[in-house]
Amino acid sequence: MSPLKFSFVLVIFSFLASQFFVAAAFSQVSKDEAASALANCESVLVSAYRTVLEAEQAGVNVSGLLVRLNDAGERLGKAEAAYRLEDFEATINLANNCSEIGNTVKLEADELRLKAYGPRYTDVWFKLTASIVGIVFVGFGSFWAWRIFKRRYYRRLLEMKPEVVSGEP
Amino acid sequence: MNLEDYRTIFIGASLVLMLIAASPGLGVVIPFFRGGERFSELWILGPAHTAEDYPFNVRIGEMEQVFVRIGNHMERSAYYVLYVKLRNQTQAAPSSKTSTPSPIIPLYAYRVFVADGETWETPLTFLFLEASHSGVLLNITKISINDVIFDNINYLSSWDSENLGFYYQLFFELWVYDYSVSDFRYRNPFVGIWLNMTA
Repeated sequence: MSPLKFSFVLVIFSFLASQFFVAAAFSQVSKDEAASALANCESVLVSAYRTVLEAEQAGVNVSGLLVRLNDAGERLGKAEAAYRLEDFEATINLANNCSEIGNTVKLEADELRLKAYGPRYTDVWFKLTASIVGIVFVGFGSFWAWRIFKRRYYRRLLEMKPEVVSGEP
Repeated sequence: MNLEDYRTIFIGASLVLMLIAASPGLGVVIPFFRGGERFSELWILGPAHTAEDYPFNVRIGEMEQVFVRIGNHMERSAYYVLYVKLRNQTQAAPSSKTSTPSPIIPLYAYRVFVADGETWETPLTFLFLEASHSGVLLNITKISINDVIFDNINYLSSWDSENLGFYYQLFFELWVYDYSVSDFRYRNPFVGIWLNMTA
């Protein structure tokens, strides 16, 4: 084989081999990206759920937020299925959509939670204060009523005249 | 009645009144006992939305449908993962006694958020697309679940000479996110249907 021919074959071979390696590298990057997008989406959903729970405990009606979380959850389920089928582009798109919804829900839940805390704290403090005042009032009232009752009881006892039923045995 | 008796009545009445006065504050400090235990429900309904006519004899290329429903009685909104799994007669099912899930890799997963006292339902369509048969062994190699096709899978089942068929169980495991441990936990409920693959 002449050096020219050999060089030509070598160039063609290098070109074909580079296509294979580039494709393999791209595929690996996509797979890693897809896995990372999935992991991110999962963590965003958990974080959003925790915030929604806190908002719920603060008295917020979270039904609307749960509907949107379900939407995000559905996308995550589909993304996981796409990942299993090695459709990494779809995985990344679905997982990113899921993360976007999750992040929005989290922000909204946090805002609603903070809004709900104001009236809730006022309510809690009002109830606690009312209870303490009520207990003190009942305590003093009872003590005062008992003293009056006791005084009247003794007075009535003293006003009683002894009766002799029979003088002789 | 003597004065001692009156005093006892006074003290009793005062304590009752104090308890009534303290009830708003107690309601804040101690959450009222709501009664009942916290639990989740999981059940499957047949294609007619009833607890009958479940798919049993299945063939390659025939689409089947069931409905899965989750009920939340956890006294707060819950985050569930519902795993769809397929096993043969010899593979391990989830254990009710030890509350351990099946080690089988799930085919499909639903991620669901359900408010307290609410239920969530979804249809599940499944279709066995390809299976290879050799002697007493059947190997399912391609399944479609909710229009997602899973190929390059291997679900082997051997011929059950007693019940005359290749049996598989399609089952659902319910996992719930546990806030205290920051992870999902298998809380025992699982349901499934047996399928006889008549090829």
